[in-house]
Amino acid sequence: MSRRQLAEAVGVNNQTIGYLERGDYKPSLELALKIARHFGVAVEMLFSLERFEPIAMTLKRTGEDK
Amino acid sequence: MKSRRRSILSMLDDTVRWTGMPARVAAQMSNDPDRKHRPLRWTPIWPIASSSALFILCLFWPPALDHASPGAVVSVGTVFWCCILGALPALHVNGPLGKSSLEDDEREAALRKDSFLFCLGLLAVLNGLGQPILMILSHWQDWKIAQTASVLTTAFTLNATLLGCLPTLYASWNLEQLPRE
Repeated sequence: MSRRQLAEAVGVNNQTIGYLERGDYKPSLELALKIARHFGVAVEMLFSLERFEPIAMTLKRTGEDK
Repeated sequence: MKSRRRSILSMLDDTVRWTGMPARVAAQMSNDPDRKHRPLRWTPIWPIASSSALFILCLFWPPALDHASPGAVVSVGTVFWCCILGALPALHVNGPLGKSSLEDDEREAALRKDSFLFCLGLLAVLNGLGQPILMILSHWQDWKIAQTASVLTTAFTLNATLLGCLPTLYASWNLEQLPRE
């Protein structure tokens, strides 16, 4: 999914999605809930007070567990 | 002959492309709002610097200005005022705050609010400090009518320039360039 598609789905500018991806913008609760609803996940899956682990580390750990 | 003519035409095309104007015109005519309203980090500094320089010139009032003809001073001032009046809307419209506020999303609305709050706060501080200083200076240096009128006019121009340029400058420096997808 492109930035533009997500931006249109949640009703913001596609630059705003870019700044969210980079962690340079903290969204309002309404925008966070809209994005979470769009992906069908809980808002904690997308936004957290702590930094998320890099996806490469998560995949590595999952591989080691298996 | 034909191939030579074509090569001359293609060379002319290359020359035009080398100037960068076709790409610039395409960007200006693009409907993509991100390309139209790009950050202007340096351009707004020019009007602010020239307005400030003119204000400082009138404040210190070199003796040569006493001998300048009033017509020449008024003409130069009018030309400068017209240039500033023309540049301010162009800078605002092409900058990151240029599009209508009705189209803003929450991030853009917050950026617009912060930019204007910063600008109006700075203007309030500058004017609050500057006006008593100007009053004291005018009394202390015994300003004549011409200098008083010039300082007032240039101070007003500086205020208008700051009001027109500072929000664009603030917003431009607060916008990081995003990498393309």
